[in-house]
Amino acid sequence: MYKLFLTFRYLISKWVAVFSILSVWLCVAMVLIVFSVMDGFLDNIKQHSRGLLGDIIIDNSTLQGFPYYEEFSAYLKDRLPDEIDVVTPVIYSYGILREPESSFTKPVRIVAIDFDSYCAVNNFRESLYYDRYYPDTTSLGLVQKPVAGIDMKGNSILPERLEAAHREYLKNRVEEEVDHTDIAEPNYRSPHGVGGFEQHFGLPGYEGNPLPGIIIGTDVVFSRDRKGVYNRSILDRGAEIVLTILPLTSRGTIAENPIPVAMRNIDDSRTKVYEIDKICVYVDFKLFQEYLSMGALERVDGSFTEPRASQLLVSLKDGKDYNKALPKIEEVWNDFLGTLAGNVTRYEADLLSSVGVDTWETRQQAFIQAVEKEKVLVTILFGIISVVAIVLIGVVFYMIVLQKTRDIGIIKSLGATSAGVAMIFIMYGAIIGVIGGILGILTGTTVVANINEIQAWLASWNPKLQVWSPEVYTFDRIPSVVKPLVLVAVFGMAVLTSTLGALVPALKAAWVWPVKTLRYE
Amino acid sequence: MVLARATKLHKTYSLGKTKVSVLRGVNLEVHEGEMLAITGASGCGKSTLLHILGALDKPDQGTVSLGGEDLFAAGTWRRDAIRNKDVGFVFQFYHLLPEFNVLENVLMPRMVGTPTLNWLSSSREAKSKATEILETVGLKDRMKHRPKELSGGERQRVAIARAIVNEPRFLLADEPTGNLDAKMGKGIMECLRGLNRNGQTIVLVTHDPHIANQADRQVRLVDGRIEA
Repeated sequence: MYKLFLTFRYLISKWVAVFSILSVWLCVAMVLIVFSVMDGFLDNIKQHSRGLLGDIIIDNSTLQGFPYYEEFSAYLKDRLPDEIDVVTPVIYSYGILREPESSFTKPVRIVAIDFDSYCAVNNFRESLYYDRYYPDTTSLGLVQKPVAGIDMKGNSILPERLEAAHREYLKNRVEEEVDHTDIAEPNYRSPHGVGGFEQHFGLPGYEGNPLPGIIIGTDVVFSRDRKGVYNRSILDRGAEIVLTILPLTSRGTIAENPIPVAMRNIDDSRTKVYEIDKICVYVDFKLFQEYLSMGALERVDGSFTEPRASQLLVSLKDGKDYNKALPKIEEVWNDFLGTLAGNVTRYEADLLSSVGVDTWETRQQAFIQAVEKEKVLVTILFGIISVVAIVLIGVVFYMIVLQKTRDIGIIKSLGATSAGVAMIFIMYGAIIGVIGGILGILTGTTVVANINEIQAWLASWNPKLQVWSPEVYTFDRIPSVVKPLVLVAVFGMAVLTSTLGALVPALKAAWVWPVKTLRYE
Repeated sequence: MVLARATKLHKTYSLGKTKVSVLRGVNLEVHEGEMLAITGASGCGKSTLLHILGALDKPDQGTVSLGGEDLFAAGTWRRDAIRNKDVGFVFQFYHLLPEFNVLENVLMPRMVGTPTLNWLSSSREAKSKATEILETVGLKDRMKHRPKELSGGERQRVAIARAIVNEPRFLLADEPTGNLDAKMGKGIMECLRGLNRNGQTIVLVTHDPHIANQADRQVRLVDGRIEA
């Protein structure tokens, strides 16, 4: 009983206990906030990286791609009907994007996709801007430029198909889906407060030649203001742009002169991974397979080359584990190569031999690991700060025990055991750890839950205090996630380190003969 | 009847490179119910002898038995229990716990010796006993005061109350009046004499012949030995 009694009395009668609690409190809150933001950042990166790739990726990491992808897609579905959901081919290449009116140019990575199957394999559709507010109006086929007109009441309106699509969006939207940074007050250039459209004083309609649609990575062309809103009015929906490409042969040589392809900006994609959004443009697979000389080309002997794709993306059926599916797909690929033996050219064999099968996670490992390493680095840095705090707490405890040395002698002269005396100070440390830990967790979780509001409040005082700028980071809001395991670990560490901080001086003081401590000056 | 017996006690302190032998084969018997005064010049080892008799310190050689039980052959836990139940200490500088009030200081030996669960049922009785003792030493109205709010004499009476709350067989007082003026010292001695009259065995250490003369028996420590 005396242990509890003494512990609590020392706790409430010493200011130093308050400072110790404050140290633990701030340490726990700081570590929790850092962990939560880093975890949130990492989770967001992982989530969005996966979204663009699908479960399994098959490619040979060359610009020429590999042949027989169609045959393999069919073979794979046939061999693993219970595992494979959708397989879609993708071509990667590079080009130069130019906007004729402003002569704006930028190097881009071309991603040629079969729009419907690509959207079925991953979350690409969710990244599209106009497709959200005008559902099912984004297509990579031939399109004209939509032009807004004026109705009888003088309001700006779009062609009926777009108006109907927007009505559909308004009917089906859920409040949480509304992105307030994307929708502004309606005006003549954006009749629904969405994006940018050309405006005529007449009836709405379409104009210009039908040209293939192109989806541009949002950060390729548009820039964000401090509130995180993209200014899309600099390139209207349907505006003409030119993509200049450089076709390659299966041997990797330049097939012909660069080809400028006139296209229309039909939508923009914001996957929220800046590395992707700042460079990728998405075009139609079949069309660009031809332009990039990756389709079936006639040889001099009258035969045709095999069409090529850079990559096959595979989505698995619901509930299937991509790590378990990987070896099966590898086995099917090897079997498939066996069926081709002797029927391929030397160049085709070279391209096929370098094809590999990976999960999305392995493929994005370099990118994810960079963020993970960053997290480890930050954790180490804050760990060092925490160690300093722990040492300080240990010193504080040592001073407390030193100050109480004579009390220890008195208590021992009254018959208290060494273990009992040590327990007083160990409990003292543990209680400081528990109180500081609980306060730290409450503070940390509260800050994490309101981190964006806190930042907005700080920024309202002084814009320089806006540490997370949407201009720089691709995520609109500071990502954060509080993982229960992290909560338990941080709390446990707080209690453990506080207890250990008290343990050494407590043991030192308790295991001496009472007379020595009674004589302590 | 012998309550405590010290046999051939030796104790040496190291002061830097110098070794000082304070006890050189001390033999002493304390009889039940007596008040024994240990006297001697300053630094002759009186307090050291008292601390060893009460198991606050250990001798380099020799034995101490209390009620026939060898204090230093017993395990640590047993020795702690003996210190709690059978021995009471009164120190020259009171050694009260400053964060606790008078009643809590007096209750402390009871708390130390009672397991937590038992304390819940026995605390009322312990408080009643402590209050009774504080009334005996004339401090019932100061129970809620902190030590710093008391005079030296009052503090020493609190220390005596704390020492006897567990009804020990053996009360050890180290210069109990050494830090007090004559009037307060007299009051403390009256208090101790009263306890002795009620059968309490007391060993007190003093260099004051007037205090020593109030004891039933005196022994003098000279050069680390009991003077014959």
